[in-house]
Amino acid sequence: MRLLLIEDEPRLVELLAAALGRAGFVIDSVGTCADGREALSLMPYDAAILDLGLPDGDGLALLAETRSSGNCVPILILTARDGVEDRVGGLDSGADDYLVKPFATEELIARVKALLRRPGGALGTVLQAGNVTFDTVGRDVKVDRKSITPPRREIAILEHLMRRVGRVVPKALLEEKLYGMGDELESNAIPVHIHHLRRKLLEAGASAEIHTVRGVGYLLCENKS
Amino acid sequence: MRWLAGLSLEFQLAVRLAALYVVATLIGVAALVYQAYQTADSLGDLDLRRRAVDLAALVTLGDDAKPQFSLSSKLAGVYESSADIFLFAIRDPNGQLIAASNSDVRNLVSSWPVASDEPNYFRLEEFGRTEQNYHGLTMRVDSGAGTLSITIARAANVSEFVHTILREFVFDVAWTIPLIVFATLAIGILAIRRGLQPLREISAQAAAINPASLTVRLRQENLPAEIGPLVEAMNHALDRLEKGFSVQRQFTANAAHELRTPLAVVSAGLDQLQGNGELAKLKLDVARMSRLVEQLLRVARLDAIALDVSATVDLAAVAAEVVEYMAPLAVARGVSLAAQGVDHAVFIKGSRYGIEDAIRNLVENGLSHTRAGTEVVVAVDEEAFVSVADRGGGVRVEDRDRIFERFWRARGAGGGGAGLGLAIVKEIMKAHHGSVCVEDNLGGGAVFILQFPKADAFQGSVADDRVKLKR
Repeated sequence: MRLLLIEDEPRLVELLAAALGRAGFVIDSVGTCADGREALSLMPYDAAILDLGLPDGDGLALLAETRSSGNCVPILILTARDGVEDRVGGLDSGADDYLVKPFATEELIARVKALLRRPGGALGTVLQAGNVTFDTVGRDVKVDRKSITPPRREIAILEHLMRRVGRVVPKALLEEKLYGMGDELESNAIPVHIHHLRRKLLEAGASAEIHTVRGVGYLLCENKS
Repeated sequence: MRWLAGLSLEFQLAVRLAALYVVATLIGVAALVYQAYQTADSLGDLDLRRRAVDLAALVTLGDDAKPQFSLSSKLAGVYESSADIFLFAIRDPNGQLIAASNSDVRNLVSSWPVASDEPNYFRLEEFGRTEQNYHGLTMRVDSGAGTLSITIARAANVSEFVHTILREFVFDVAWTIPLIVFATLAIGILAIRRGLQPLREISAQAAAINPASLTVRLRQENLPAEIGPLVEAMNHALDRLEKGFSVQRQFTANAAHELRTPLAVVSAGLDQLQGNGELAKLKLDVARMSRLVEQLLRVARLDAIALDVSATVDLAAVAAEVVEYMAPLAVARGVSLAAQGVDHAVFIKGSRYGIEDAIRNLVENGLSHTRAGTEVVVAVDEEAFVSVADRGGGVRVEDRDRIFERFWRARGAGGGGAGLGLAIVKEIMKAHHGSVCVEDNLGGGAVFILQFPKADAFQGSVADDRVKLKR
């Protein structure tokens, strides 16, 4: 798994390269827009981490340029700017995700992995949260290496939750994804599915849990304790 | 006139104008009175000369060819009744006395030379029986009895004539002067008011300028020449101010970058270390420092840049997004986070970023105070308010205003807060012309309420067609 890190602060490069290296990635790092442009055009990276404030230009320009040249490498933006315009601007220019400095290294690694797991991403098809794994091709759910077989819709819900481990999946999005336009949708359909799924995970001894964020949606995260 | 300094220009001008009018009037009246006295004096002299001629006409040559004097019955009455007022003596060219009003005069003039070509004026001090002062003259008059030297004097203190003139002047003319003064003063003040009107308009324009409308400039057309340069200077000052604000904005953005990158380095460095409890504490310290830097930057940004509150914002969508964003933190802390009333759009005028920031600060506050296992509820109401309720210790009544002050922290409050979060919320609500307050949550805890001004025009028309754009 090869990542390009475009960042001009040498200490940060050093530390991130070490941490990402320990997580199993191979890191190439460059410190300027020009070098970044060249590296992206020469090597088929699996993902890139891009700092916005670079000495010879704005990372956003490099991002827009990369996208317009047809390069679809997943790009995560690191930024010290947190204005809403900056965030929206970054996503509009074709970034796949962003992190505002300062951030936890763990968070960065998790986000990079999430990028790689996206459809077409490099990290294969197996999603993981705690001891729960999900093979998106075989649609096979395992808890502690033992398969469990929830019904189709519960599996679909679990897939969405596992694609965004540690982040909220809005209930509206689940409804939209699970039910077609013509389907009759009971108001408590999703909560009922979640309830069943939660019980099955618990019975199988899963170390990840589905939390309800009432009024908004659900999130799956690994149990800390 | 230093005491006038703080008063309105209009008042100052009116006072000065009034003072000017009073002084001018006094000088005018004094000049008139002086002129009246002058005129009276010359009229008095003329009167004496006429009397001398009248007296001369009464001298005739008698049978003995000597000049004789006899008062006509009418004049005799006049001179007798005013014997002490008018004195006269009539002499022939040789100094021989023909007639005199009394013996004192006769004795006086006996030593005087006879009249020459020019009238000879004189004053008598404390003269005669009544010891009065007299003005008089000696002049040569030709009459039927030859050339005569006539001396005539009038008591000085009886200037009845002059007094009459002055009285008439004062009563007939002078009383109109104050009226004229008042009338001109009133016209003057009206003119001042009219003249100052452009100044008042400029003040109103200037009063409307705030950090959010720094591009506004004062109107420079149709201004009096005195105010024009001031307004121009003011506009130049605004140019510089606007530039200053943009520098400040730039500085804030730079400061954010400069502070965050080293913090990211420290944080990443700590993440590399394996270690004991001390390391966990250090990580907490760095997290706290990051948060403080974050909040200081937000305060700086709020101070430097007025929020643009003109956009249309859906409170429900913003609240839902904040809850979504904060939920992992809630789970990590072993508490729940919930949203209510976010299914229907509630549109208001405001800054999306500001509102997001305000709600997030309240949620952070709620999450850090609510007891383990309880729920923090963010509720959006159609009446354009957002409440954030927790199940913590609540806020004491006496602290309910102070918690919104910068760097204020409840006594005994440990932990991460810098005491800026609620101050930021207050600033944001002020920019939105709204308010924030804290009340008791029914069943324990505190509930913070953000009240926004309603934007009725949007209500209903777009509700329920909200397109949720979630990634």
